Amino acid sequence: MECLSDLWQNVVRHLSYSPSEPMLFSSGTFWALFIIFLPLYSLVRNRHRQMTLFVTAFSFFFYYKSSGLFVGLLAVTSLVDWTLSRILARTKKHALKKLCVGISLATSLGILAYFKYANFFLWNISAMVNGNFQPLDLVLPVGISFYTFQSVSYIVDVYKGRVAPTATWLEYAFFLSFFPALVAGPIVRADYFLPQIREKRHVTSTETYTGLWLIILGVIKKAIIADYIAQYNDLIFDTPGGYSGFETAMGVIGYTMQIYCDFSGYSDMAIGLALIMGFRLAKNFDFPYKSLNVTEFWRRWHISLSSWLRDYVYIPLGGNRKGTARTYLNNFITMLVGGLWHGAAWKFVFWGAMHGAGLAAHKASQPWLRRLPDNFVVRTMSWLLTMLFVTALWVFFRAGSWSDSWTILHTAVTDFSFAYAPAFASARMLWLILIGVITISHAMPEGFWNKIGDAFVKAPWTVKLFVFIAVVQCVIELRSEDVAPFIYFQF
Amino acid sequence: MKRFRHYAGLWGILASSFIIFTAVSSFDSISIGRHELKSSGLSQAIFGKAQTEDVQSAPVFENDTVSIVQSCNPEPVPVDTAAQTILIIGDSMLEGLVPRLAAYSDHNGHKLYAAMWYSSTSAVWGRSRKLQRYIERLHPTFIIVSLGANELFVTDIRRKRERYVRNILDQIGEIPYLWIGPPNWKADTGINSLLRDATADGCFFLSDGMQFRRAKDGAHPTRESAAEWVDSIMRWMPESAAHPILMDAPSEAKGRPVKLWVHQPDEKDIDPDLK
Repeated sequence: MECLSDLWQNVVRHLSYSPSEPMLFSSGTFWALFIIFLPLYSLVRNRHRQMTLFVTAFSFFFYYKSSGLFVGLLAVTSLVDWTLSRILARTKKHALKKLCVGISLATSLGILAYFKYANFFLWNISAMVNGNFQPLDLVLPVGISFYTFQSVSYIVDVYKGRVAPTATWLEYAFFLSFFPALVAGPIVRADYFLPQIREKRHVTSTETYTGLWLIILGVIKKAIIADYIAQYNDLIFDTPGGYSGFETAMGVIGYTMQIYCDFSGYSDMAIGLALIMGFRLAKNFDFPYKSLNVTEFWRRWHISLSSWLRDYVYIPLGGNRKGTARTYLNNFITMLVGGLWHGAAWKFVFWGAMHGAGLAAHKASQPWLRRLPDNFVVRTMSWLLTMLFVTALWVFFRAGSWSDSWTILHTAVTDFSFAYAPAFASARMLWLILIGVITISHAMPEGFWNKIGDAFVKAPWTVKLFVFIAVVQCVIELRSEDVAPFIYFQF
Repeated sequence: MKRFRHYAGLWGILASSFIIFTAVSSFDSISIGRHELKSSGLSQAIFGKAQTEDVQSAPVFENDTVSIVQSCNPEPVPVDTAAQTILIIGDSMLEGLVPRLAAYSDHNGHKLYAAMWYSSTSAVWGRSRKLQRYIERLHPTFIIVSLGANELFVTDIRRKRERYVRNILDQIGEIPYLWIGPPNWKADTGINSLLRDATADGCFFLSDGMQFRRAKDGAHPTRESAAEWVDSIMRWMPESAAHPILMDAPSEAKGRPVKLWVHQPDEKDIDPDLK
């Protein structure tokens, strides 16, 4: 009886919200839940109402596990948006349409602003008036930045007639809360996703195993590579100036790889899960560190965010339709917004501003850049400059403060010596190997990875099982006892 | 069944591997060659003893570790004011402890050497001769050990870990030492009481029950919180340690050890007699 009691209590504990144990795709709890979810989903997959109800309920539970009672906020936000979208679509009065959009944006962005930026705003006001700043006791609901942007895209698309409002609140709640993309993206667009909810889903074995392959890739990137190399990178960023230039430079390079593996790994898992369910989410990363310039970088990095910023910030500001100077300004403002989206701190604003300046500089230098020959030397130099620019700016993204960022960059540049390399390699061989693995794999052509994926999909069931077990055991071997949440989880 | 057809293979993989990992984790240890596989912990998570609430909110009973450790404190002994060669060994908690400890060392004229072995446990150090080699090389006059954080949830811990803890203490020998207990973020399965029993009176600092601000992983104290942790230990030391050394509060917030060695989790250094 005591055994059953312990079992029941353990189940209840794992199903209850715990701030220190958020629901992650790479957790045992999610694994067990998905085993239960899948057969039930298969029963209702092509029954529209039951499917939307079941998946929405599961998504809300997933969000509850991640963010506790903030699931109520998600529900209220979705209800407000949907109601306004229905009014907006039915009315012919232009003023009322604008009012509905205004209220929806004010609600969504207002909630985001309150939870994410209130303390930042108050701190800056306090600093200006030499006041005594007492931060509000606010907890940021997980994923609020992502679903707020989805909500904005929906109401704007309905307003512009690009998409029809959903017939039921349940459909809209499904779109907003779709659990694979809920807490860390990709940002799902209404015009791309809503038709998929209404269609019948023909899921094939190829698609389910392709989804599994993407999940395995994501787990390798996030739970093996990113989590392991983070252990060293965190040392460097948490003790700025406390290590040699070589070690610091390695930490900076390591973080560049870590953030890519962490975020793209999560995106892979999200896309894989969605594919298993018969839904297609757009690619979110396209080998960004192959980019030869900043413009290309932003076509390959966090694609769902950059395209959202393009469509809902850059183009409404005028895009490139109002002259050269205004184009540069619009780019700059768009990237400022992008930087601020990542976090409520001046370092994120700086990061966004510098990327905006980089984009503007690249555009401005197009006339003479086009005169350069397209050869190996030029391409290598372009790649190197782009990587230096992106890598240096990641320091501001990660470091604890403005001064820490400069200390790290200063140490990496002025104290650098290859004399540390042999000792470093000796002490950190596995770290170097993982950096090497991700660097080489990033350099491989996409076709190579497609072939590997195809081979996995066509392999016998036992081989797939073995690969899955081997990957999970690798995660266990390399993990610390703790959970390192996805870097973008906090957004 | 027809609707489930396309998912059957995938579901089979997920379910089979879940069952395999749960079953394997119920065994004490499984080795492949000389490598002991780490456990997924699924068996413990599902069938293990249900964990109580966070230790901070748990009531303190008469026979719990806190009161027992407090009752073991010896009479205060005079502080050793001589310059020390301090060696600190342990797991990743050293990331937070070492910078502040180095500041104390610098301020008080000591030399601090640090050996951090990521993901290590008492078993890892206890099976190894690394500590002995550090002692032979550095001739420390004071040793600090920070281990236990990676074994908070080990089942049957006394049987599994006591001999390794004692081996570490044997390697330390007569050198004055302090074992800093792990900064629990959940109730443990017995590591703190094991350490309390194995160490000499006044040589164990109980960190369980202290309030920490945690890093994003929910376990490691933040840098600031870890510095406060060191400050607490140094305030405790003069009145309660078996061999207190001079550790006046420094003006600098952090420092650097004379040398920091970092060992990776996969490093092999096992004493064949202790496998």
